[in-house]
Amino acid sequence: MNRAQTIEKLKVIVKPYIQNQEAFDNLTESTDFITDLQINSANLVDVILDIEEAYEIVIDNQSMERMLDVKSAIEIIETKLSEK
Amino acid sequence: MIGNDIVDLALARKESNWKRNGFLDKIFTKKEQVLILNAENPEVMVWNLWSRKEAAYKIYNRKTQIRGYIPLQLECFDLEIFDGISFGKVVVQKRVYFTKTETTNQFVHTIAVENVQDFNTIKTLENRKNIKKNNGIPSCFEKDNLLAKPISISHHGRFEQIVSL
Repeated sequence: MNRAQTIEKLKVIVKPYIQNQEAFDNLTESTDFITDLQINSANLVDVILDIEEAYEIVIDNQSMERMLDVKSAIEIIETKLSEK
Repeated sequence: MIGNDIVDLALARKESNWKRNGFLDKIFTKKEQVLILNAENPEVMVWNLWSRKEAAYKIYNRKTQIRGYIPLQLECFDLEIFDGISFGKVVVQKRVYFTKTETTNQFVHTIAVENVQDFNTIKTLENRKNIKKNNGIPSCFEKDNLLAKPISISHHGRFEQIVSL
């Protein structure tokens, strides 16, 4: 899966939780889940659990701490997939 | 230093499924999970502990200027109830913050402070007048006071609370 495909798949995962449609429509790697997409911090755990399910990976606590923006999420997904 | 967090219980019920597989493990320590599972109302305890973590995180974030999704690093302990108000502490990386949590059947609201006596001087603001954010962290700039005053704003569903010391 290339990066563009990973971003598209991630967009599908975060969509149910976003509260800023404009930021979502213009999503880039620098988009922040909380400050831009205005995902409720309690729903960030759902994003993380949904990513784990969609990619069949486990996101450890240390990785979760960095999971604040698209770029970090993609990096974490790619790293975990390469370790499989 | 101050931080607060409010949870609209009706909205939380709609937005989150705390019984979801993995949910508790990702955000609550083993000890906190014991508190939740033994609580009379586990759902309210989930949001009670969560709001404490969020309120304490706001102080941590202001002091360190570090952002992170670190619910497991913020651990609630020493929970006590006086006159229906729930007090406690949150530890994060050896820093300890004091929390005060009000729970109704509509919402859970926690205020966190660095010094326990600060609970006596908390002010509630009615609006966002003179409030500016820097790095996402709000402060109040009053015209005859050059020093910015730390403010904490929390909004969820039907409720908003703006507090300062």
